[in-house]
Amino acid sequence: MLSIKSLTANVEGKEILRGIDLEIKPGEVHAIMGPNGSGKSTLAHILSGRDGYTVTGGEVSYMGINLLQLEPEERAQKGVFLAMQYPVELPGVNNMTFLRESMNSIRKARGEPEIDTLSFMKQVKEKARLVKLDEKLLKRSVNAGFSGGEKKRNEILQMAMLEPNLAILDETDSGLDIDALRTVADGVNMLRSADRGMIVVTHYQRLLDYIEPDRVHVLAGGRIIRSGGKELALELEAKGYGWLLEEAAA
Amino acid sequence: MNAPLEEYKSKARNSIECLMKPDDGLFDRRLAALARFEELGYPNPRLEAWRYTSVEGLLKQDFATPPADITVNQLEVETHFLKQPLAGRLVFVDGLYQAQLSECQHTGIKISSLKSALAEGNRRVLEAVGSQTGLGEDGFAALNLAGFQDGALIQVLEGGKLSAPIELLHLTSRQATGCKIPTRHLILMETGADAELIERYQSLEEGIGSFNHLVYEISLAESAQLTHKRLQMESDQAYHLSDIHIALQARANYRGVNAAVGSRWSRTVLHNRFMQADAHCELDGLYLVSDGQLSDYHLDVDHQVPHCTSRENFKGILRGSGRAVFDGLIQVGELAQKSEAHLHNANLMLSRRAEVDTKPQLMILADDVVCSHGTTVGQLDQQAMFYMRSRGLNEEQAKRLLCQGFIADVVERFEDPELIEILNQRVSFQETLAES
Repeated sequence: MLSIKSLTANVEGKEILRGIDLEIKPGEVHAIMGPNGSGKSTLAHILSGRDGYTVTGGEVSYMGINLLQLEPEERAQKGVFLAMQYPVELPGVNNMTFLRESMNSIRKARGEPEIDTLSFMKQVKEKARLVKLDEKLLKRSVNAGFSGGEKKRNEILQMAMLEPNLAILDETDSGLDIDALRTVADGVNMLRSADRGMIVVTHYQRLLDYIEPDRVHVLAGGRIIRSGGKELALELEAKGYGWLLEEAAA
Repeated sequence: MNAPLEEYKSKARNSIECLMKPDDGLFDRRLAALARFEELGYPNPRLEAWRYTSVEGLLKQDFATPPADITVNQLEVETHFLKQPLAGRLVFVDGLYQAQLSECQHTGIKISSLKSALAEGNRRVLEAVGSQTGLGEDGFAALNLAGFQDGALIQVLEGGKLSAPIELLHLTSRQATGCKIPTRHLILMETGADAELIERYQSLEEGIGSFNHLVYEISLAESAQLTHKRLQMESDQAYHLSDIHIALQARANYRGVNAAVGSRWSRTVLHNRFMQADAHCELDGLYLVSDGQLSDYHLDVDHQVPHCTSRENFKGILRGSGRAVFDGLIQVGELAQKSEAHLHNANLMLSRRAEVDTKPQLMILADDVVCSHGTTVGQLDQQAMFYMRSRGLNEEQAKRLLCQGFIADVVERFEDPELIEILNQRVSFQETLAES
């Protein structure tokens, strides 16, 4: 469903990605790990269409289309979802209104009818319960004054409502206590399905105790320096990144 | 002084002279106000209060006195009425009071046209006119006293608590194009009275270029409460000037919610005077300007007595070549200990060509007070834009939601769903957001 070939990119002239190759098939969960500054978030942002990055080479094909030429909203409409490391606060924008407008614009782009109020309310309440997001927060402004954990739960709620084909979670675990981490992981696991691909970007192995990946990739210096099964994550947990970096440099 | 100004002055004088027959009991005051106007002339940019707001364009329009009798299409006017239950309604079309369209069903209030109250020789009303404004702080205010034709008289009697709002509707028709409409409202809230007033300024068609010129004198006696909601949504060719004076006695409470979303040129001045302790005032407002429009809000909140509180929050969205002026002055006198006063103004600029002059001012002479003021001028948050687009919203939708979100706290102050709906219909952010 997603095929990244020799992707290179820079930010303000500084080269961040130096040739990424990645292949994700429907139903797979890929973890991308790596030290700080390795390019993990840059990759997530480029996939979702954020400004400020210049792709200098390579290609990204998503379900047979060139993902990089699409606007962010077109990517979302085609089923790409990015759960952000720092979800943005939208003062004055009601959480439910936002969620509903998002759902409807995605449905509209797919030629589906708008969701009726009753089904929407039913769904949003049910899913908020699943991600343990206080119902009161649905009536508040998007993320405004939410705690770190509430913001992440809200991201997972959006993901559950928008039902993407490709979900990218950018350090969703950062700043979460163990309970929140578990809830977020439960939400992700609930969404695992045979036709949905996922990229879980994380700095720590901890999240992978709860979300079992099919593949683990180590990103360092803008390249994937090692790929393996879930056991690679455990190895990293035990030995850190140092040995891999040394190997890669050798 | 230039020639057109002299000409305008002599026209003003003539129109006033023909107005004052027969004598409405204000003859001397009107003459004195006219003399005051001749002494002051029109405001110019050398006056601090008028530094950023030019009246040249307004004077060039050479507004005439409107016809004394007009044809009013009652059915058309009625379509603009609020649908909700009301305690009373006053309707003015082109500044003329429409008795047959006005009504009052509630006990505890008296509403009528100011002109008829003066004609009846109502002493209290006679004394109240000009009691707060004097002859006028500037030329416009003086001209209003000299030449106002009519206005609303709203009197909420002692202890009167209204269960529904009063509607005050100002409509301008095609017949008022090119005309100035000097109006004066008198609102007397007696001891313990409690009321809500919903006021709207609307043009019956697009393109009507009239000049609504209002002076209000609002007095709140001890423990009186007034919620005053004002929607200025005239055509984008209209001119609008409102000078609102509010005087509060002990424990009185005034809540003003304002929106300026129409007019080519509009200026609203809110003077809030605390006369006795423990009174409270809240002023909220929003303004939206687009190509060629100017919106000006001046606040003058005066704490000279102790233990009063005030809060002001004004927000503006500027697009195209729109301009806005905001001047928020809070004065806290030496005797006004334990005052609390907070002022906030925020501006969202949607275009590089838009311009805002914002000036919050705190002048504090007392030492035991809690005061704050702040102002911001910003653009749409690009991170927020990306966040929303990454959830499937296109740029237009995202901008619309962010703009609505920006003014949401002020809009909420209108409380009433019908009013918010009227406002939202006028303030669709759809058409204008293509440019940036």
